[in-house]
Amino acid sequence: MSLIRWNPTRELSTWPSDFFGVQREINRLFDNFFRGGMQDDGSYGLSYWTPAVDIAEHDDAYVVKVELPGVNRDDVKITMESNVLTIRGEKKEEKDVKKDDFHRMERMYGSFQRSFTLPSTVSNEKIDAVYKDGILSITLPKAEEAKPKQIEVKVK
Amino acid sequence: MGKNHQVALTRKGSTALMRPTEPAESFVTPIADVYETSEAFIVKLDLPGAAKDSININVEENRLSVKCAVQLVREGTPKLLFGEIRSKTYYREFVLGEGIDHYKTGASFDTGVLTITLPKSESMKAREIPIK
Repeated sequence: MSLIRWNPTRELSTWPSDFFGVQREINRLFDNFFRGGMQDDGSYGLSYWTPAVDIAEHDDAYVVKVELPGVNRDDVKITMESNVLTIRGEKKEEKDVKKDDFHRMERMYGSFQRSFTLPSTVSNEKIDAVYKDGILSITLPKAEEAKPKQIEVKVK
Repeated sequence: MGKNHQVALTRKGSTALMRPTEPAESFVTPIADVYETSEAFIVKLDLPGAAKDSININVEENRLSVKCAVQLVREGTPKLLFGEIRSKTYYREFVLGEGIDHYKTGASFDTGVLTITLPKSESMKAREIPIK
């Protein structure tokens, strides 16, 4: 018997004889895409490790918050290149616990990366980041030219 | 330590801690790891943004429950570009089996992760039995 490499699109190509195969494939894509769904084994959690983000634009700054529970602050790297903010890092597995000793393993480990293009220029040297209680908060002050300016127009 | 003995303990423990029950109100279920050591069962829950004092841990008869409200504070009225984080109340319940010394339950909170230690009672701990 020979082994055949699994091709995820093969089930699609047999349309319409294998409608349920198509449905299965679409379900798989959806499951992989949306975070926080119920897994096949009945556990909750993310199918891959993508931390949740909140980005608020204030008049003078952007405030970025990232949920990073259980991440060592030294394992997080924040970079700013032109207008692209990148947060990358790694959540390390507990080394002293064997897989066999787990009854439930929903928390995700491994590396993550998210990048965001900010709508306006940021003054790079004033970026400030704080990590507290599992939340990384980054404050990115806008560059002078990007701040909203009020111009008075005289009505003649 | 006898291998069979170890397997038996694992099975007993797994049914002991596996079933989360759904509360009536709408809460967010925090994701959890549960593992056991020779001394205790360890439950780890991700509670990002929680303040240590706002976490409520309750052990009652055979139930362990954790509840915690987390407020996402945005100063002023900013324009929201990404809104994946919400203010929410985390809640999760675990059914505990026999063999846990409830009175010695301990907890710690660090980097948004709550660690609950449920020590095994003496009868639950693995013992090596000498052959005479």
